Amino acid sequence: MFSLTRRLSFGLRYTNVPSRRNESNSKKLRGPAAQDVSYFRSVLTRPSHSVLDGTASHDVKDEIDKKYNTDWTRHYKGSSDLVLRPQTTWEVSSILKYCNENHIGVTTQGGNTGLCGGATPISNEVVLSMEYMNRIYKLDEYSGVMTCDAGCILQSLHDYAEEKGFLFPLDIGSKGTCQIGGNVSTNAGGHHFFRFGGMHGTVVGMEVVLADGRVLRLNIDNSEDGNNERTHQFQQSSASLRKDNTGYDLKQLFIGGEGTLGIVTKVAVACPALPTSKNVALLVCNSYNDVLQILKTSKEELGEILSAIELIDSNTMNFIQKYGAGNGDHLITELLSSETTSKQPLFILVESQGCNQESDFSKMDSFLTSLYESSTIENGFLAQDSKQIEEIWGLREACNPSVAQAGYVHKFDVSIGIESYMEVAEEVSDALKKSNLPDLTVCCWGHVADGNAHINIISGQFDGDVNEAEAIENIVYSSVMKRKGSISAEHGIGQSKRKYIGQTKDEAVLELMSQVKNLFDPNFILNPGKYLP
Amino acid sequence: MRKILVPIKRVIDYAQKIRVDSSKGPQGVQLKNVKMSMNPFCEIAVEEAIQLKEKNKGAEVVAISVGPKQCTETIRTALAMGADRGIHIETKPDVRGDYVDLQPWAIASLLKGVVEKEDAVDLVLLGKQSIDSDCGQTGPLLAGLLNAPQATFAANIERGDDGSFTVERETDTESVLISLSNNKSAPSFTWQNSTTTLGTETIKLNACGKPAVITCDLRLNTPRYPTMPNIMKAKKKPVNTISLEDMVKELGLDLDEVLTPQNEVVEVYEPPPRKEGETVGSIDELLGKLKEKGLVA
Repeated sequence: MFSLTRRLSFGLRYTNVPSRRNESNSKKLRGPAAQDVSYFRSVLTRPSHSVLDGTASHDVKDEIDKKYNTDWTRHYKGSSDLVLRPQTTWEVSSILKYCNENHIGVTTQGGNTGLCGGATPISNEVVLSMEYMNRIYKLDEYSGVMTCDAGCILQSLHDYAEEKGFLFPLDIGSKGTCQIGGNVSTNAGGHHFFRFGGMHGTVVGMEVVLADGRVLRLNIDNSEDGNNERTHQFQQSSASLRKDNTGYDLKQLFIGGEGTLGIVTKVAVACPALPTSKNVALLVCNSYNDVLQILKTSKEELGEILSAIELIDSNTMNFIQKYGAGNGDHLITELLSSETTSKQPLFILVESQGCNQESDFSKMDSFLTSLYESSTIENGFLAQDSKQIEEIWGLREACNPSVAQAGYVHKFDVSIGIESYMEVAEEVSDALKKSNLPDLTVCCWGHVADGNAHINIISGQFDGDVNEAEAIENIVYSSVMKRKGSISAEHGIGQSKRKYIGQTKDEAVLELMSQVKNLFDPNFILNPGKYLP
Repeated sequence: MRKILVPIKRVIDYAQKIRVDSSKGPQGVQLKNVKMSMNPFCEIAVEEAIQLKEKNKGAEVVAISVGPKQCTETIRTALAMGADRGIHIETKPDVRGDYVDLQPWAIASLLKGVVEKEDAVDLVLLGKQSIDSDCGQTGPLLAGLLNAPQATFAANIERGDDGSFTVERETDTESVLISLSNNKSAPSFTWQNSTTTLGTETIKLNACGKPAVITCDLRLNTPRYPTMPNIMKAKKKPVNTISLEDMVKELGLDLDEVLTPQNEVVEVYEPPPRKEGETVGSIDELLGKLKEKGLVA
């Protein structure tokens, strides 16, 4: 049965805020029983691999708990007893059709790298893992459109595209583990959002399975998925075109829908050409005003080749030095020993990507010279080869894992006007100092050119308490909301931000979102307890 | 310490995927629109030179490169790391540096001439090999042409007050203790002692009026990043560009001899793709397959 409380692994206990609209529907759901397990075993083609029945043995239950019931942040723990790992779209369809008819809750899971508990069951729902659906079908060498299964690991898509001279437009720190289906379902932003735009633009087609088992093919070619004998009943599909204005663009609902409207089984993504020239510099500056100047100058001097600008603050850099610099050890030592007038310098990573090494280098040189001569930067480190480029990006990607080792992390991912980017972190820092909450360090890093700040508040003690968590949330969110910012820029809602959505959206918007959910999933079997308030 | 000469090479960046167009025969490796960087072992050599300069006031680090006009960028990087000046022997754009046209013998001959012309060169530091041709010959050839003492695959370099260099070098196995007497007619080096760590040996290059020639290996150091103050200073440092033809004339060499490769590249091809493995359903099946292939009795 559904439990409305969940225990956090560090001893906290949160109570699910009862949903305003969906309470009655979710109460009708049940967890899977023995006859359901038998059914799934009979319809999946490799039951020995595709059905993990936690009631069968301790080992299986352990595996389910470790791998599927716990999220990456270890803040959320589900109690699912059944994991299904389908291998084809048809299998996904059969599973959902059955669950829909029998009112069984289903939580979809990809790489399980999300930061809001969106892929973790809230109780004993069935976990539907996409990990076995990982074929890459093709990459059209003229349009750059890559078609693949939703369970493909992001890094493998990067590797495949690179072989053919293309660049996969999404790049995030978890790319070695996360799957594209999850990325699409959470509308992941990443390092190159600034240059290539988000998934709403780069995803040109998808195949998605609805709660009742119907398969929607939205601008995607299905001729190679080997399911032809079963697909005659499905609708016409088309090759993945770059442009198609023939009807409501339904796929946009699933992008960022966090699996609450349907399960994405295939995607078609438009990939730009692989840049042959990449330059990365790590800049040291004294204040955020300098950073604003860097942003301005980069648009003037680097222009079309600018591909990423990332910010890391001193507190974060100190944690990276302590816990995670790895190969970048000696870079970070040099960085932190830069002579700055400020005790809390800011570090900015600037990347350019283009197709002409000479002209790109000359632009980068002119950009850096201009910043240095105007004293906008105290120092800059320019990577001279791929190894140094990887080291610099390595520092940026170490932000998250490093702070995770430092203590209990209260994670926030907010969007604010670029001019006020550091104001939230500063205001929160002041407020926390004045409050009676002890031993908290405020770290800020993120995609500054997008106005997206990852504010992480680290508590020195590992056993945080619920009052502390709530107090911190209130401080951070009120600081964001008074600046009309977003409380979740790219990490999504999942379990962690449901209650805030109600406070940040208009009544009409909430009403319509609820109606859309009702339309696509009237029995509320998909990812129950998540997303909508 | 007076001058340290560091020959550096501009090569395809180590992380780039190499594309081969087999229809172009020996010229098959695509160089167009491909990211180029300083050879990683040359970077290590530059870093070592600068560290030695920092320890020995008054030393001058000269970076030298043979290649097309884009080599000035590579030389500027060396200057931005801290080298004092550069020499660019410019080749025509169609002359390939990746073994097809220019080969170690030609480079070593040019470097010998430069060392003699510069005079007061105490040390030549090179990368142990370039990552495009993987020859590892330029350093040893240069030492031979100069009749100078050499040590290759350096993992550690110490300079003595008497101008000698003690080099710990990488070997494949633990070395045996050998001692050679310091005889005037014998080469001017002594084997210092046996290994202190598994896989290295230590050699002392005595000061003898010739520059020491040392090639650098991976463990020697971690090359620094060019930083803004140094990048700015580098813009003012002199780089002397001279065409290959003029340099050859100046050194009294024969242009044909320099440009005609000693070895001919016959064929260039990509390594064959790895064959897909076979999945078997059981241990018995695995055993059966292994027996079939004659891998198991």
